[in-house]
Amino acid sequence: MPDHVQLNPAAEDAADVLIPDVTGGLIDRSIYTDPNLYRLELQRIFARAWNFMCHETQIPNAGDYFINFIGEDQVIVVRGEDGRIRALLNTCRHRGNALCRAELGNTRTFVCSYHGWTYGLDGRLLGIPGKADFYRNQIDQEKWGLAPAAKVDHYKGFYFATLDPEAPSLFDYLGDVGRIGIESMLNHGEVVALDGVQKNVIDCNWKIAVDNLFDWYHVKVSHNSASRVGFLNQAAMMPMTQMVMLGELGHAIGGPMVTREEQARIDALSDDERIAIDRLPDAERLKVTPTLRRPLRSTDTKAAMGPVGVRATGHPNIFPNLWISTRGMQMSLRLPRGPGRTEIWWFTVMPKSFTPEQRRAAKKFITHSFGPAGLLEQDDGENWSQSTMAGQGVVSRRYPHNMQMAMGQDEVLVDATGQKSIETRVNEHAQRWTYRCWAEWLRARDWPELLATRSPSPIGRV
Amino acid sequence: MEPGQAMLLQYEVEQFLYREAALLDDRRFGEWLALLADDIHYWMPIRRTVTVENLRLEYASSDGMAYFDDDRNDLRMRVEKLQSNSAWSENPPSRTRHFVSNVRILEVNGDEIALEAAIHLYRSRLNDKIDNWVGRRRDRLRRVDGAFQIFERHIFLDQTVVLSTNFSSIF
Repeated sequence: MPDHVQLNPAAEDAADVLIPDVTGGLIDRSIYTDPNLYRLELQRIFARAWNFMCHETQIPNAGDYFINFIGEDQVIVVRGEDGRIRALLNTCRHRGNALCRAELGNTRTFVCSYHGWTYGLDGRLLGIPGKADFYRNQIDQEKWGLAPAAKVDHYKGFYFATLDPEAPSLFDYLGDVGRIGIESMLNHGEVVALDGVQKNVIDCNWKIAVDNLFDWYHVKVSHNSASRVGFLNQAAMMPMTQMVMLGELGHAIGGPMVTREEQARIDALSDDERIAIDRLPDAERLKVTPTLRRPLRSTDTKAAMGPVGVRATGHPNIFPNLWISTRGMQMSLRLPRGPGRTEIWWFTVMPKSFTPEQRRAAKKFITHSFGPAGLLEQDDGENWSQSTMAGQGVVSRRYPHNMQMAMGQDEVLVDATGQKSIETRVNEHAQRWTYRCWAEWLRARDWPELLATRSPSPIGRV
Repeated sequence: MEPGQAMLLQYEVEQFLYREAALLDDRRFGEWLALLADDIHYWMPIRRTVTVENLRLEYASSDGMAYFDDDRNDLRMRVEKLQSNSAWSENPPSRTRHFVSNVRILEVNGDEIALEAAIHLYRSRLNDKIDNWVGRRRDRLRRVDGAFQIFERHIFLDQTVVLSTNFSSIF
């Protein structure tokens, strides 16, 4: 276990930063531009949360590694000789140099290019050049291993890490809503990550990208051209029936749903019949499917998601920044790079049971939807970046964003199993929930305080 | 091939690539689309920063994900999108300049020609956004009724993380 960690929370934590009240659906624009708020987000959200690292199939062999970020802390996610996946800070304990400058690869050790300190796949410091000659053996090698994440865990093969030892377990962190999000990728059983993570940079605040994933209001206008050229079916994309699920700590799902009537018709089909319908080409599928939503979820998925969760086919966000997207085949990470800059990473997973034809069709749909060249995503980035930048104006900044759609207009339904949903039209409930929880994360000084002060998932009128 | 023939072919191919570049820069996208064969594969794989020992991992595999993996219909959609006034990433339109150089004919097989070129696509967007995309392009051309058609375009960019808001331009 590495030692010599210096903690000076007072110096690190910008505790006196003003956190605007966002509960009334008015969003102070400073939250997208203020560098002090941004520092506080890195400390109190990213360095505290469980952050998505990778899917287990991305690093199947001992020595396979993948570089990811927790806020602006760079981590090496690596599979050890013992098969275990660890997350280690990518910074040499000697002079802080980045040990690993590649995005991914396979290695037996991590050797620092500055003075040659050499670390094992488990982070232990294996060698110090000149240990006898120059250090006169006066260095305790055991104590200068790579700094590990406080906890690494996975939910069904999806790996997360947290830098905070006080964080709750991953299972509890995800809660019902976060787990439904991951289960939505496992409808056809085990999945495998496709080779290649798309990465690009947008000059926007990370939260603008995050709240957009719940925004089914923008589809008609932002993505107008994608429907005009025949890529997007607006009617299918934007039904009048929408469901929102709000999970503690900021997780949420928002978007189209399977109605109770449609679910009853799905329940009447065998799992094999559901699979057969989903294998049909779009035009054929339309004639026989009980719902436009894809995929038809299986009996097992329903058991895992619950009777309400199984009907939530919108977009889940695992707080703070993991969007589960594209019919449960993609995850988009929104990595902060300063208040006005965000890296967008797209991971793709596909069921091992997919036929080559299904895989080809799914890949085609995915490639043409998202990523920087996606027919949808092409038109998002500039909106996000202009929305962020306009907050720099002295007077523009005084006018808050309006996030009040359907505020106070809907009722939370609680079913017999205790699952909660808001079943309504296009709305901004999930966005308001995200910002409400965001402010709670920022106000709480540590995990015990956050757990004591966080809002419970709402009931009653929202 | 005799030197004279080779020089003539080189000239023809280069002139074709320059005309094609001008069509894109002049936003004559419909005419550009007409240069594509029905069986075109337009592809830009994901490139990654890797160590010398791991160079085999530099490009995501062809059955993995890519930035572009288009057939003719996909490119038709891209062109129609560029021509609409509601493709917000292109309204106001970007100003582009397509440079093509270092053209090398790699193979001539009957009516089909494989070539490689260095490309530089400059994009000026709004008042203050500049993108420079530099890379290698592998094209395959087919001579049909005396004119060239493009039936393969594989683009290998020289950046890994794409330092741009989007790829709304055609390479």
